[in-house]
Order: sequence, then structure tokens, then C-alpha cells
Amino acid sequence: MDFEAVIGLEIHVELNCATKLFCDCPNRPGDEPNANTCPTCLWLPGAAPRLSQAALEKAALLCLGLGTELQPLSAFDQKVYYYPDLPKGYQLSQVHLPLSRGGGITVANERGEARALRIHHIHMEEDVAKLVHELEGRQPISLVDFNRAGVPLVEIVTEPDFRTPYEAMEFLKALRTQVRYVGASECSMENGTMRVDANISVRPRGSSQMNTKVEVKNMNSVRHVGDAIAFEIARQIAAVQAGEALVLHTRLWDPDKKTTIPMRAKFEGPCVPDPSVPAIALTPAWIEALRARLPEMPAAKAERLVKEQGVSAEDAAFLSADAHVAAYFEALTAHGVTAKMALHWIATQVLPAVRERGQDLSASSVTPERLAGLLTLLARDEINANAAREVLVALFECESSADEIVSARGFRQISDTGVIDALIDQVLAAHPAALADVRNGVGKATGFLIGQVMQASQGKANPKLIKERLAEKLRQV
Amino acid sequence: MPPIALFENPDPAPTVPDGPLHGTRVALQPTVSVAGWPTDAGSAALAGFTALEDATVAQRLRQAGAVLTGLTRASEFGFGLHGSQAGAAVRSGAADAELVLDMMGECRVAAARAGAFGLVPSVGLVSRLGLIGLIPSMERCGLLARSCGTLRTLLATLGGPDGRDFTLDETPPPAPAPLPADVRDVTLGVIPQALDGLPAGQAAGFRAALARLAAAGVTVRELPLPEYELFALVHMIVGSVEASSCAGRYDSVRYGRRPPGAKNWNDMYLGARGAAFGLRVKSFLIQGAFFQFERYAAYENACRIRARLAAAAQRFVSEVDALALPLADTVPEDAAATLAQACAPFAATRLASVTGLPALALPAAGACGALQLVGPRLGDARLIALGETLAALCQERN
Repeated sequence: MDFEAVIGLEIHVELNCATKLFCDCPNRPGDEPNANTCPTCLWLPGAAPRLSQAALEKAALLCLGLGTELQPLSAFDQKVYYYPDLPKGYQLSQVHLPLSRGGGITVANERGEARALRIHHIHMEEDVAKLVHELEGRQPISLVDFNRAGVPLVEIVTEPDFRTPYEAMEFLKALRTQVRYVGASECSMENGTMRVDANISVRPRGSSQMNTKVEVKNMNSVRHVGDAIAFEIARQIAAVQAGEALVLHTRLWDPDKKTTIPMRAKFEGPCVPDPSVPAIALTPAWIEALRARLPEMPAAKAERLVKEQGVSAEDAAFLSADAHVAAYFEALTAHGVTAKMALHWIATQVLPAVRERGQDLSASSVTPERLAGLLTLLARDEINANAAREVLVALFECESSADEIVSARGFRQISDTGVIDALIDQVLAAHPAALADVRNGVGKATGFLIGQVMQASQGKANPKLIKERLAEKLRQV
Repeated sequence: MPPIALFENPDPAPTVPDGPLHGTRVALQPTVSVAGWPTDAGSAALAGFTALEDATVAQRLRQAGAVLTGLTRASEFGFGLHGSQAGAAVRSGAADAELVLDMMGECRVAAARAGAFGLVPSVGLVSRLGLIGLIPSMERCGLLARSCGTLRTLLATLGGPDGRDFTLDETPPPAPAPLPADVRDVTLGVIPQALDGLPAGQAAGFRAALARLAAAGVTVRELPLPEYELFALVHMIVGSVEASSCAGRYDSVRYGRRPPGAKNWNDMYLGARGAAFGLRVKSFLIQGAFFQFERYAAYENACRIRARLAAAAQRFVSEVDALALPLADTVPEDAAATLAQACAPFAATRLASVTGLPALALPAAGACGALQLVGPRLGDARLIALGETLAALCQERN
């Protein structure tokens, strides 16, 4: 029998707000354990939650960026379960009335076909504490770090629209780009600021039934999400074919063994509306004011780059995949660098150099203005490509302009025909055999002579001019 | 008779030299956080817990020059009045006022028991930050005092926006209202159904008080509400579900007593909570858990009915100056074997708890029984003025 998979995703995104969701503690989970705690996020008796306006705005901006519809009324509920990572026995989450509904992302599937993948809803919730399991001597102990407790999260819940691991991965990449665009989160699966759970079931192809699903967790890269889904689909198909019944449960992805293993479920019951956090009523005016703060989103940006900068659709997609890269590109062209040269230098030189130095492009010391100075010299043939690459390295190491570096290091090309002619005469006189070869039609002898002239100029002569003047000279001789 | 005080403030001198409450002695319950005080809310689940910061109400009392005398004995989480000494400090003269957590009428019944006045302010008027209770949407910081004048100053001091409690109204506390110029302009509404099933003495006392007020010229209007009995049911269902869910934070794991011998942490949580709560609170929580997990639809219905009842009550209080409701002034200590028995004294106080309207308890005077006045939301100051006038009428004819 031919099977197809039905996949839905639940994506937790940690918002990069300065404070936690219900108190003023810093949102820095990585600090010294339990440094960022207070009676509210420890939920000591008498604590009262105070919903962060900044978190609400950031979450709402994220919803608008993903094209979802902000709801006029949303509210927090108490998701009850007892576990040491949850200091009050319930998690505050918007279960009954989420912040937004609808929307989605269109991606290309394996065959290049457009697939509109729908978002069911997006809700806000608080993160829980981190448990650290250690051995004290031979006694196993569990430590709780509440720095992460109360950190603002949004959960993006999709419809079960995905059929393949590839679609899930493409969706996640596009989602990550869009969330980064609105500046709501770094969305790093490695660092846990984006966490993905996948709900997977299988059914005979063409069927519309929804079978028992299995939830898979603990993937820490987009690739792992794809691998885990692929493994789980295969596992379920094998089970169905062997006549085994599938039961609703949760499995953990083991990236080393590349398998999923069952985990014990937490007790969860129906959620009660929380009486301590006032409901959130969003007015149309508030929503429109927020929408005005929305940056140009990737699809619109790519379209504009094609139209205004004349780049190909593929290059536009590359540039707009990261708002900082696109901004860098546009700053370069605004300084008069051609789109082609800007694209080439960003892709082959600047991005690798920035990555190698562990910098952020947006905060790099090689600003678009400094690089444009360099590329202008290159475009004017005042330096050659080799020298340009060396100047780029220098730009990272000092604060001088490209022009200053070129002058100081003597990188400026010799484009004075008189000087080049003299060098050519000198080389021809020193290599009569090569000259004879040229006359006898030995092609590579010309290349040798050009190389000799370049060497005589200590690498500074304009190669184009050497070629021109040498050809002229050979015609005369 | 057990002592009234659970904890006496070792350093009661006012911290500010002046203020509207200068020298006023106020007793608190262990359900109000005061930094460094044993605020265990009367529960073994919080045994040994010491508040890290002051409740807003404690802070404001201090800033107004009040003397915080200490903590009185309270029922577990202030739920009901069994084992509670609420009102006793005022009755004995040890304090001029008390703050009494009111989630089903505790402050009002305690005031009647003490022969004092008790106000449960409008929802959203007095900060709840630092209060340790069970039913966040119903519990309020009740004010209990020997005189309406003290209540007025307490309300002005404690009410108003608090940057640390986002559930509060933005409006400042209501300015003190003048006494009614002529009692013949006053109209009280009475829900006849509120007298159904009351102990005979309580109903008689209520009728006597109404007759006394009517004789003085007050208009008494009947406002029938066949659904009246639903106030108690809604309180039991919504209140217990809220309590069951919210009490998760009183896990007796990070404070309180953790029973030894648990095999794993699931065991430990179950054991700790099982050992920590007293019988009455445990019954209430189990009832809530039953509705949350087994009868969720009934809980949702109760929430809808609550909204309907609140609208009906708000309509009533807009048609009259205040609703008059009966009020129990005793709590039989021996007849509280079941949850229903423990809640019986609060039959008539739940209307205000369910609707969030302000309610003022007036003490009994001679043949006139204790009664409650329920006013419109944020009409607290007028309610105090009205109560002062009506209580004087009841007293002067004795």
C-alpha cells in the first residue's frame, strides 16, 4: 500500500524582550543560575503577574509579520501540571483565546510546486525553568534554574498541512527568516530560542482520514526536524504494515542514534481561565499603529530588489533571506557600487570573512561605506582584484579607509602608459627567446611576457594596460 | 479560648511621624504579606514561609502612619471563619481596625460577629498584590473597623491604582461622600428570595431592621430574583475550580513541609499536597478538581451564569440606593463537619463575592439584626455614608 504522512508543527519561539513576561527580571537565561528571579517569577505566595507591554507588542508584531490575524480579545489560561520546572503548578498560556489566528507561509516543495501551509493560531505563553540533573557523589540530584521561568514565548501552531519532511524544513526556514525580520527573536534551534515539536501520522495515500498521531520533540536543528520526521514516518508505516496499533504518545529524537524513543507523558487536564492576568483587548487603532512598525517582509523585499536593482529572482531570494544582508547590499549600491559587483563581493568575500571572525554583518567594522570605497577603486581599475582582497583583510584589521590602505601599502596600479611601455621594453630586451617564440606563433609566450612585466612592476601594473601595450608593441616590432 | 494574636509586631511604632491613619492600630491576618513576618496564611502548606516583600496594603498602611499590631489567627487561606479570630482584635479593643480577606463573606460576617462595620471594596479598587488566598476572582481585602469614619480613611488610604497590580482600575479611590440629606430620599432594594432558608432568628432580625428603617422614612422596594439561589452554586463551582487550579502554587515543596520517603518527585508532590492542606480546604480543592476534570461543561455554564447574575445585580443596584441583604453574626464552631456546613453562614454574602460589587456590613443593634448593603461598582464611598446614616437610625431607636 502507498502511504502518505500528515504532519503538523508546533513551534516555540523565545522572544528577545529585555524582561520576562510577567515581571521585570532580565530575560537572560544564560546568567548565573537563579540570578534573574523575583517573588513573581518564583510564584511565591502573594505574587501578582504583570503582563509585559513590550512582550505583547513583540508577539503581536510577529503575528502581523506572519500575516496572521490579531484577535480583538485574547486571554491567559492555567495549563495545570505538576513538575519541578513549573513553580506554581500551572503554566500561563493562551489556550482558549489565542493572540492571533489564520495566516500561513507559501513554500516550494521538492518538485518546485507552491504549497500554501496554513497557521492555525499563535498564542503567547511563559517558558518554564531549566532542570539540571547531576550526581552528587553517587547520589543523583536534580537542580532547578529559574532564570528561564517566565521568559516570554510564542507558540505557532500549524494546520496538519505538511506531507513531507522537506516541506516542514522549508516552512521552518521561511518562518525563521520572517521572525528575524520583525526582530522578535534570533530563532536559533541550537541555542533553544526556537523549539519545534512535530505531530506525525500516516494514512493510505488519497485518504482523508486522520489517524493517531505521535509527537516528536528534542530536535535542535532544521535538518534534525527533517530527519526525525522521516524516521517517524518510516517507523509508523512499518508498524501499520506489521499490523501494530499506534497509540497517542510523545517521542524524543535522539540525534546520535538517529531514532525516536518514547517518553513518559506529563499529566495535563482542561485549562481554567486565569483570573489574575487581565484579558488583552486590542483595538483596530493599536493594531494599525503596530502594523506601521512592520518592516518590509522578505517576499516584498525580493520583489523590489528584482525590480529596482535588476538582480535575478534567485539572487533576490538569497539577499532577502537575511534582512541585514539585503540592507548591506542596498547600502553598497547606494554608494554607487554596481549590483553585480556588490552581490559578488557579499557572497564570496564579505560573508565568509564576517563568519570567520565570528561577527555580525550588521555590526561589522567593515561598513558598507568602507567597502564601497574599496570597490570603487577596483571598479576604476586603480587596484586589481588581488590587491582588493588584501585591502579587505586590512579593512577588518584597522580603521583606515580603503584609499588610505591602498596608498600606504602601495597597492595602487600603475596605469601610466609611459611607465608600462618602459617596463615592456626592459622585459623584451631581457627575453629575446620569448620574443622569438611570439613571432613564431607560440601562444603561451605572450602570457610569459605579461607575467614578466607584472613582476617587474612588483605586481602593481594594470594587467589590462600591460596586455594592450604589449600587443601594440609586438605589432610594431 | 485561643489567643487572638498569632504574631505580635515587635516594633509597632509608626514609621512615619504623621499621616491620615497616624496612631490607628490595624491588625492583619497571615494572608497579608509583610516582609519578614510569618505569613503562612494559616496553612501547613506554607509553614515557615516568610514574605519577602510587603503587600501594597501593608505598605500603604505604614505610609499613612498606622500601627501594624501583628497577625490574628486565621482559617486556612482565610477560607471561611472556622478557627479564625477575625474581628476579635477590634471587639476586644486591641485594634481599631483589621484587614480581613473576604472570598465568600468572611470580613462581613466577622464584622457582624464583632459588632463592627465591615467593607468589602469594589473589585479593582484595592490592590491584591501580596494577598495570599484561594479564589483570585472573588477574594478582596476586606476592611473591618469599629466606626465608619475609620473605614472611610482606610479606603482612601488603601484604594487606588497600584503599579504592581494590573487588575486594578485606573480611577483614584472615590472621594468621601456626604451623608444622605434626608433618609426619606433613600430607597433600599430587597430580594425576597434572600430570606428563603435562613435561620429563623437571622430572618427576623433582618425584617426588624428593615421595619425600623421603613418607620424612619426609608423606602423599601422588593426586587424579586428567582435565580437568587444560583449565587451560592456559582460560588461553589467557579470558586472551587479557581481554587483547585490556583492552589497549585502552594505545592509545599519549596516551602512548607515536605513529607519524607517519596520514591520520585511525582510521589513527593502528591504526598506534600496531601499532607499540607486541612480537611475543609482539601474538600474545597477536591470539589474544584472534580468540576475541572470531570464536569468542565458545568464549570463553563457556571461562568456564563455568573456573568448573567452580575448583570442582574448591577441593574438592581442602579435602580435603588443599595440592596439590603441579611447577614449572619455567628459562626457555630461545632457544626462544620462538611463543606456545606462550613459555608452555611455565608448564604447571603456570596452575591457580592460573585459579582464583585462593594458590600458594607452593619452591626446588629437590639432587635435589629446585622445587615449588608450592596452598592454599585465603585460606589464605595456613598455606601459608607449611607451605612453610617442607616446604622445610626437602627441604634437610636433602641
